[in-house]
Amino acid sequence: MNLLSFMSFLILGITILTMIFGVLAYFLYKTRERQQQKAEESYDEVLANSKDEFLFFNRES
Amino acid sequence: MAVIQKILFVVLMLGLLSLTFYSLTYLENVYLEVNNTFIRFGVTLIFTFTLLVITRYLLLIFFSMLNLIKRTAALEHTEGREEKISIIVPCYNEESVIIPSLSSLLKQTYKYVEIIVIDDGSKDRTYELARGFEFDNGFHSLRVINIPNGGKSRALNHGIREAHGSLICCVDADSRLNNNALSLLVRHFEDKQIAAVAGSVSVVNRDSFLTRLQALEYIEGLNMARNGQAFLKLVNIIPGPLGMFRKSAMAEVGYYDHDTFAEDCDLTLKLIDHNYKIDFEPDAISYTEVPENLLDLLKQRYRWTRGILQSIHKHRESLWHLRQKPGMSFVMWYMLFESVLWPFIQLWGDLFMIYLAIEFGASDLMLFWWLMFTVLDIAGALYCLLVTKEDLSLAKYAIVYRLFFISVINISKVFATIEEWFGIEMSWGKLERKGRI
Repeated sequence: MNLLSFMSFLILGITILTMIFGVLAYFLYKTRERQQQKAEESYDEVLANSKDEFLFFNRES
Repeated sequence: MAVIQKILFVVLMLGLLSLTFYSLTYLENVYLEVNNTFIRFGVTLIFTFTLLVITRYLLLIFFSMLNLIKRTAALEHTEGREEKISIIVPCYNEESVIIPSLSSLLKQTYKYVEIIVIDDGSKDRTYELARGFEFDNGFHSLRVINIPNGGKSRALNHGIREAHGSLICCVDADSRLNNNALSLLVRHFEDKQIAAVAGSVSVVNRDSFLTRLQALEYIEGLNMARNGQAFLKLVNIIPGPLGMFRKSAMAEVGYYDHDTFAEDCDLTLKLIDHNYKIDFEPDAISYTEVPENLLDLLKQRYRWTRGILQSIHKHRESLWHLRQKPGMSFVMWYMLFESVLWPFIQLWGDLFMIYLAIEFGASDLMLFWWLMFTVLDIAGALYCLLVTKEDLSLAKYAIVYRLFFISVINISKVFATIEEWFGIEMSWGKLERKGRI
């Protein structure tokens, strides 16, 4: 395998891996945001979002 | 040493020309040899995109050089101005950075200044810490105002309403200014048509691979673009960390609006739409902290992208006002290209190249395409680092800049664009500061 082919193969591999990494990182960021948003919700917001459903809170130890 | 760097820059530009020629010839061969509509369409798209990006880079470097020459000549004849400047510092939960930030404002060489800190309902000790700085000697003052949390644009507008200066300087609370920043910015307002001047932004926490890549991006991607745009006096975004405005012009366009997540971009577009000129001062520097981990960086870019798209959407009619408002129309097309077309085509280009490599074994093309952009990035980085007298070792990061950094950012921008298109709800998403300024 000559240098040109090796470099081409390397760049191709890195590009594919970077794209997969980029997509995963984005969804990881979205998941983290969703979790943070839930954790920061106030009692009133939770109550407003629940509509007519019963709410159950966990007692913090 | 400087001669060697200049020779290296010329060699890189020549390398870029030959690589561009080689890549485009390769693309032409693919087009001629493969009789497939999809591939021909893809090749044409990449061909056009490559030419556009290279033209954009070369024009920006060229305009940036012209602006530098023009600026050097003009500043020799500029005298100091004595207009009152009101500095507005909006802050929300900035206890880790508020002390160095306010200290740097008090060290400014330009003294005819009032500093107004707007605490936007912080839940931490920001208000108490800022109150410790309050003083008033009639000529120079600092006061702190506490308002219920309502967002950055409302806080800025509140500060502007309280301001007595004819010039308004908006500064982020997580930034530190160099001591003569205000003196440098104020000189541009000799020209009555200048409504705003953008300051330069420099990364302060360059202690990891990711933050050094961002440092390079700020120097090459953001400041070089602004320097080039400044030749036409059409800088499209006054950055949050440092920007100075003529208060009368702000009043004319209705100050900051609350309907986008990029209030700075929106205000700049409103000023350009009213035929005002927007300039850039590269030596007025705001040192700011950048995100230290990838997820925080994506969070920041997500907000920037959606904010800019909201601004473009808000002013979309100006896209077609080519004759009535050529400056505004040009800025809008430029922003549309940079924010939407570039990330989409770059991503699509990568996918198309992977397809060509797997299907036809044409992986050489991908190598040359990457090499071409990397040489372009290294040449651009070297030029910017030389002009700004920045750390030249940052140039080496240009090798992975496009291959890794820009690709990951572009993926996030593409998703943000899709979400904006479908109107998915978003929140401001404040970044956590480490207090490194």
